[in-house]
Formats: sequence, C-alpha cells, structure tokens
Amino acid sequence: MNPDTTTPSEGSRLDGLMSQMDDAIEKLAQAPAFSKPAKVGRVFDTARRVMLQDGGCAALETRIQALEASGVFWGSDWAKPTILLPTLSRYSLQSPVAETVVIEALSELRFLAVARGIYEHSELSAEQASHFLTQVLAANLSMLFTPPSEAERETQGRLAQIPRKLLTHLAERVGYDQIIDQLIEEIWRILNQRPIQVDSIKQMITQIAICQADPEIDLGSSGQGADRLVSSLYGPTQACRDDPGVDAYQHNLDSMDSSALLKEATGFARAMHDTGLVSPYHSTLLRHLLETDDHLLPEALGLSTTGRDCLLCYRELVYALIREAVHPQTPQAIYGLSLTLERGILYHPSVAPALWRQLALILSEWSRSRLSMAFGDAIEPRSRLLEGVLCMLGQPLGVGQGNNPTCQSARALSMWAYNDPDYLLQMVAWAARDDEIIMHFEGQSISSCESQSGVASSLPMDLDAVSLLVVPHLDRIYAEMGRRCIGREGDPHRWVNPEFHGWWSGRGFNINVDVATGALNNLEDFLRHFYASYHPYYNGNQPMIHPQPAGIAVTDRAARFIGWHAITILRVATDPDQVMRVYFYNPNNDSGQDWGDGVEVSTAGKGERYGEASLPFAQFASRLYIFHFDPLERGELALITRDELDDVVGYIHRSWGADRVPAGELQADPGQD
Amino acid sequence: MKKDPNKGYIALLGWSLNAIEAAEAFDRRYVVVAPDWAEEYCLEHNIPYVPWNFERLNDRSMEIAQTLKEMGVDVSIPLFEETVEWAGAINSVLLDNPRLLGQAMLMRDKSLMKRRAQLGGIRVGIFEEAHDRDDVIRFLKRVNQTLLKLDGDPNDPIHVKAFDKAGCLGHRVIRTPDEVDSIPDEEFPSLMESHLDGWEFAVEAWIHNGKIRFLNISEYVKLGYSVYVPASPELEAYREKITRQIELLIKTFDIEFGLIHPEYFVTSDGTMYFGEVAYRPPGFKVFELLERVYEGFNAYQASMLVFDPKSTEEEVEAYFPNAVTDAKAHAGCFGVYPRRRVVSRLEIPEETEDHPYFESHELTTPQEEIVTKRTAFGTHWGLLFFVGKDPKEMHRLLERQQDLDFYV
Repeated sequence: MNPDTTTPSEGSRLDGLMSQMDDAIEKLAQAPAFSKPAKVGRVFDTARRVMLQDGGCAALETRIQALEASGVFWGSDWAKPTILLPTLSRYSLQSPVAETVVIEALSELRFLAVARGIYEHSELSAEQASHFLTQVLAANLSMLFTPPSEAERETQGRLAQIPRKLLTHLAERVGYDQIIDQLIEEIWRILNQRPIQVDSIKQMITQIAICQADPEIDLGSSGQGADRLVSSLYGPTQACRDDPGVDAYQHNLDSMDSSALLKEATGFARAMHDTGLVSPYHSTLLRHLLETDDHLLPEALGLSTTGRDCLLCYRELVYALIREAVHPQTPQAIYGLSLTLERGILYHPSVAPALWRQLALILSEWSRSRLSMAFGDAIEPRSRLLEGVLCMLGQPLGVGQGNNPTCQSARALSMWAYNDPDYLLQMVAWAARDDEIIMHFEGQSISSCESQSGVASSLPMDLDAVSLLVVPHLDRIYAEMGRRCIGREGDPHRWVNPEFHGWWSGRGFNINVDVATGALNNLEDFLRHFYASYHPYYNGNQPMIHPQPAGIAVTDRAARFIGWHAITILRVATDPDQVMRVYFYNPNNDSGQDWGDGVEVSTAGKGERYGEASLPFAQFASRLYIFHFDPLERGELALITRDELDDVVGYIHRSWGADRVPAGELQADPGQD
Repeated sequence: MKKDPNKGYIALLGWSLNAIEAAEAFDRRYVVVAPDWAEEYCLEHNIPYVPWNFERLNDRSMEIAQTLKEMGVDVSIPLFEETVEWAGAINSVLLDNPRLLGQAMLMRDKSLMKRRAQLGGIRVGIFEEAHDRDDVIRFLKRVNQTLLKLDGDPNDPIHVKAFDKAGCLGHRVIRTPDEVDSIPDEEFPSLMESHLDGWEFAVEAWIHNGKIRFLNISEYVKLGYSVYVPASPELEAYREKITRQIELLIKTFDIEFGLIHPEYFVTSDGTMYFGEVAYRPPGFKVFELLERVYEGFNAYQASMLVFDPKSTEEEVEAYFPNAVTDAKAHAGCFGVYPRRRVVSRLEIPEETEDHPYFESHELTTPQEEIVTKRTAFGTHWGLLFFVGKDPKEMHRLLERQQDLDFYV
C-alpha cells in the first residue's frame, strides 16, 4: 500500500491500484465462506479501476490464478468455465452492471492465461481456451475499434471503456489474423456512411496492413477484401504503389509529364470516391499540380461538370483553400473540397466571401490550444480547422457526436452545413475567433460565455475540428435554452428546437409521451398527424422542403428502451423496391443499428445517400416521439387506414411503448375508427 | 481459529458479519444472538447461534439470560444501539452485577445521560426534554432569548434528537417554528439541545478494569457525512485534555469495562462540551477504519478482549497498539446521500475514483428512482473508503465529496 503520492504518473497509479488489488484478493482469500460475498465487491471494484488504466488488463492477467483461487467466481455461472458460451460475452460486456462486466472480463483473462499456458487449469485445456477466445473476439469485433455507441454510453458510462481495453488486450495476445475478415466487412459498412472522422477507420486499416505485412502473422485466406482499403491509404496509384514516402513520391512527380500526371490524378480520385478515404500522397499530388499543371485539378478532385464549373468560377478561392488546407497531414480536406464544389454551394452569394473570411481568420489562443491538443502540432491549427470546415461543408451528414451526449449540437451543425452553410461559417468564425457565440431565445440573447454548464460535463475532445471548437458553445446555449423553459408545461423541445436550429424548424410541435408520467399520450392523433405532415400519399405529394428536427426513442436489439435521441428527418421517398421510406440523419457515429423487433436501420442499398439512415415509414413512425410541422400546412388526418395505424402501434407496444400504455387503453372499443 | 476453553465465552448481540468474522478468527468461544431470520445462514455456514428477537425489554428477558448462562457464556457484547439494554440486562445476570442494567438504561436515554453527565461535573450545553411540538417551539424561543437576539434576527438553531435512536437517526436541526411541524409524532419524547459552534469529534475508548487501554479520536469532517482516523495533528493536540474528559466520564458513569463511543465539541477557546455517549461500536465503520491503519488490530476482537472477565491484565496490555504513532496512514469514510430528487444509476465521479487515496465503496445501484425527501439526518446510502498519509489532503478530499453526485 503506497497511498502517499497525490499526483502520480500513470505507472505508479497502476502500481498503487495493484497493491490495493493484492490486498483485496488476500482479504477475499482469507475470508471464511460465509463472509466472502461481503469481500468480493471490493475485488470487483478494484479490478474495474485497474482495467481502466493502460496496462491494467496485462497486470490482472498475472494475478488471475490468485483471483480464481480466492473465490472471485464462486457461486456464479463463471465458476465453471466449461459451461460458458462465447456469444454471451457480448451481453455481459455491455451490461450496465459493473460487476457483470468485470466478472466477464476477468473470466476472459482467465481463458487468455490458460490459452497462453501461463495458468494450468484443472477444467480447461489451452486449446479449448484459445478457441473460446477467438470466438469471443469475433463476437465483439464491433467494440474492438469503435468508440462506444449512444446506447452503451447511456447505459454504461465510463464502464464502456473496459470491454474495449480488454478486447484490445486479447486481440494483441491472440493475434489479429483470426478476426480480420469480419473487421473488413465492418469497415466497409462504416465507410458507406462517409463519416467526417475517419481516424479510427484508418487505424483499423493500418492494423490490417501491419498484420498483412508481418511475416510472423499467418492470415491464411483471410484479409483478401482489404486490398482496396489498404491501397486507398498507402498506395492508390502506380507511382506510389509500394508506399515510398511523401518525399520520394514528390521526387517521382517532378519527373512526370502531363499524361503521367493525369493517370495519377484519376487514380487518386477513383480511390477517394470509392472509399471516402484520402491518401497523404494525394495531397502531395494536388499541391504539385497547383504549381505545374493546374488544368488537371478537376481530374485530381474527381469532379463532375457541376464541380468543374464551380472550380472554374471560383478558381482563386479554391487555390487558396488548397494551399491553406491540403497537406499530407490533412488529406481529407481534398474529399471535403471536392464534395463542397459538387454541391454548388459556392454559388450561394454569401458562401464564397465567408470562406475568404475563414481563410484570413485569426484564431484565439484557446481555439489554437484546443486544436493542437486534439490533433497535435504537426501543422498549423488553422489549417486543421479549414480542413474541418471543408469536410463539414462537403459531408454535412458525416458529422458525428463522438463519445459525448451532445447529439443536439451535432445535429445543429449538420443541419446548418446542409441547409444554411453561410450561417455555419458564421458560427465557426465566432467560436474560433471570439470564443463566444450569442444566440437568441424568444427575443432574449444568450451568450455561450455566460451560460454555466452544458449537457456534457467535460469538454469533448473526440470530435472533428469544427465540432471541437463550436460544440462546447452550442451545448451551453442549448442547455441554457432548456433552463429558460423550466416551469413551462410540456416538453421544452417545443420551444428550444426552432430557436436553436433555425427558422425552418416547424413551430408546430407534436409529442406522443406525457412528460409528467412518461406514458404514451394521444398516440393515434400523433401518428395521423405525422403521416399527414410527412407522408407523400397523405400530404398532397409534397416532398419535404427543409430538414426537420425530430426525436426518437432509441431501442436496443431486444427492442428495449434506451433513451431519447435527436435526429433530423431529411426526406421521405420510395426506395428502389417502391417501399416508402424515411431518410434521416443520426448524429450518432454509426447509424446502422438494430432497434429490435425487425426494425433494422439501413445505411446503404435502400436508396440512401451517403450519411443517410433509413427505415420504412411505418417502422420509423414507431420509434418517433417528437416531430415539428408547419401549423399552417396541416394535411388530411382522416385518410390513414386502421390496418396501417395498427401496424405502427404494434411496433410501439412491442418495444419502447410496452410499459407506457396508459391504463385502460388496451380495452378501448375496437369498433372505433 | 482454535478456541481456548480457559478464556471467556462470549455472546454477540445482533447480526454483524464483520463481528462474526472477527470472532471466528479469535481464540474465544462465541455465539451469535440474532433474530430467527439468521438461522438458515448460521446453519449453512456453521456459525454458533441462539435465536432471539430483540424487542423492548419484557418479562421474557430473563429467559435469554438464563439460556446463555446455562450454556456457560461469560459475557455479552452489544453490537447495536438496540441491543445495549439487552446486554445490560443479560450481563447483570451473567456477571451477577445488577448495577449493569441501570448503567445500560442510562446509555439508552439521551436525557438521563445528559443529567448524569451534568451531575458528574461534565460540561454540557443547554438541554431540555420535549414531549410535544409546543415544547420545541418554547425551547427554541428561550434559547434565542438567552442569546439576546431581537425579533427578526436569524435564530440560532437547536438540535432535536429522539431519545433512543443511534447516531444521526432522528437527529434534526431546527431553526424556525415552521420546521417543528416536520417532526413526526413517533419521535417524541425527544431531547433538545442548544447548538454549539465548534469542532466536533468522537472517541472510541476501550476500557478494562476501569482504565483506558486504547483511545482513538475520530475526526468528523462533517457530522453525518464523513470521519477519519487517526485525527489530524491539530485535534490530536487535545489528546491529553480529551483523555481527562474520558476519565471523568468513566468515573461519572461508573464504567468498569467495555467499549464506549462518546461525542464532544471543542469550542474555539478549547472548552470541551459533552454531546452523548454510546456503549456500542460506532456507526460509520470506524472499526474498519481502525483495522485499516493499525496493522493486525481488530476492533471487534479488542472489544471481546475488554468485555471478557477472564482476560488478564498482561493480555490486554499486549494487545493494543500505540495510538497515532503506530498508525501507518489515515483512513476515512464518507457517507453518500443522493443529492438529486430523481436518480437512475450509481456513478462514482472520476475525480473520486481516480484519487490515489480512494480505496473502495459500498454503494449499490438504486432500487427506487424517487429519492425520499430527507428531513432528519437520516441514513446514508453507502460508504466510500479512503486511505492516505496526509491528513490535510484527507480532510480536503472528504469535504470535497459533499459537492459531488454519486447518484444521477
């Protein structure tokens, strides 16, 4: 026990915890059977804190035999390792109960120690243990590299880090080759949503590349689908196929003629638009073309006629943006720029001058330090920010909230980038230059500096550059707007959403949950009204004009309620199979989620544009609890059939609405219509 | 552990797993006297056990004393406030000393206790008994008149404590006549005391043959929330004075053996005021804290030792460590109360659990979402334990916990 240091480094922190751990194990081991239950809690809690430290899992692995001998698994299913099922580990590791997560994690470490031959177990062979671990890793692949989902954040909080640290430790020990094919599938699924933040994906691809390049690792037949992914980062074209390094590649470029450069340009553009990932070599090429062969820039950006026109109209601006934002460290700026040009938003009279302002913007000390803290000092913070601005303008649906409870702010940024880009640029200027954003709520101004606290308790770091600077301000303003609604009857989003997001958010508001009791309220009218406002068959075939904020009840794969979540409804249209679907934006980092009861959110293959999620109209309606509408454009309520309504209500009653049905509702007269 | 038949045979009154574990590992024979819900557990784990439902002392009280006497039990030890008078009654039979019952009754009635202390020349605050709410209002007014307050000046608070409840249960602070209405009927009669501004602390003293064998000072950071041992050097500076106070208390209450747990105030001029005294282990797991800082010391075993009439002078002298100097660190605990009205889960703040002093906690997931409004000091939802060498840091840390949410 060495508790006398008050500001320990990571290492001595782990040492301190491990001596507490040993103490707790010893106390448990010594306790007579009748008082073991009272001692085991401290062992679990200490183990949990150990696992939160870097190297914690490795440290516990060395104590696992003593842990099992002390009786940590006694009286639980984990006491008999042979009856455990690998697939169940997923549920234990995602449990909101800390003890469950910890006992599962300790059990995995036991399998690991047995598999590695460090621990000779009376019931378990090394082969059995090793096979078991592989299956555990495969079953939990999604957790291995991705940050916690909204559902995990909501139910587990900080605990969600433990399964990740554990799985990383297991994967390092077991070897990535076992798990690579599933990983590749997962990467493509995420890339199809075209997120702005691709660092974790790049990490995964790098892991795969390292495994492939390592002669020690036998991938067997696995990993074959990884070529496009690896090459898009490390060698998309002929001249950089063998990943020569940026300087050597520049040297190659210097000796190329126009036709060779054209080949390079199209090669890069194809890789970029295939994957959404941009290679650092692409930056080198673009900067090179700027000096020597600028007529090839449209090819290098992979532009269509729209984008090409836009580039030619705003040539000076685009060149300045490339010079400032595109570096080998910020290749994603190229993809953002390309898509920004394709959107034609530069023709909006205020966007081009706003980008000139952005180019000249002096960042505040605070903004600079936030950016360098998150992204390092390799390039100027303002170049980082500019890359972020281009990506957000080009990929408005690629904004993610990171591992933070700030879905509202992420949604607002996305909505502005999509619908009101010059307003977004204004927000960025205020936040980055002035460290203050002022918005208005019902005529009163709200400054982000004066509002005390936001929804997030600490400053988020795991965000794209724009969100990193703007979200803390928006979050405080959003929370303050909520505070100003305290005392009003009903849900505050009624007033906050339109004021926060923009004039186009409908002032009409409908909610199907009684705020005081949480029970379902006025469900049929709510649904009829939603169909009348949004469904083309019931609203006079009027396509949606503006994106609209909406609230959904998120459910897990067992259709159990997890929490309320903010999304944007983007459009309603038929998919290639003529099914009417709602296409929406989910600020969560991965929209492809299984909400249970057959409600699986699709992100590709059903007519989605990049970044959109979609569900059939009825299934979407079944998870909706708040929507906005224009009170002057009410549709026709009466036309929706009983069957159609019953279908939706069935989905609700089988999921998040199960325990919210008001007393007496189920006995309602079935004859009414 | 092997039991020594030449040493005492001890009955533990009340159910405490920590006490049983300590007894199991000690060389005295023991038996647990507990309500019949404990029977199955004791059978399963081979714990010696006699069933008894502790209610108010009644005409069957002799029965348990006889049962224990026939078993050859030498002495009984109360583990909770509710079993103190039972121990008095039983020990008066086992030790053939009728005065022990009267002594226990004194310890169980806060009003009698105060009067006895006053008679013994111990300083106490102003106190009175209240039988109904009017008494409380009258006392509040009188106390504030005495303090020369004018109409409209904020009142000095008074404390109202149910006669026979342990520690902070039923302890209320009253400032205005309106607050008197919140006291439920069942808390009368109760004891009213004037408020003293000062440093509050508690003492655990193990007494054998009328002499103090070990004296611990427990420093409260905030009453009802947090305590740590050994106390800070600033409070330990009063150790001599405190020891004399405890000797006075032993004399006044005529205590020959056992463990007492009194509470005091020191005012800014160094005057000590007696609060109350209990004849049982303290709440707030001070026993566990002591075990944590004094290597090899077990407070339950220490209690069995000083209660046992067969313990020898040498054995007792050898058992106890040297107060303060033998402590390897300070250990403290903090009682968590939910601060929000509606809570859904337990979430230990990162700054708490990342602090190197943080060792463990006993908090559990909330069973109900709506938190009952706290009127009296009430019961905390669980304890956090800290261990560390710097008393200043310990003090700051425990104080800091008051501002944090553990249930969100």
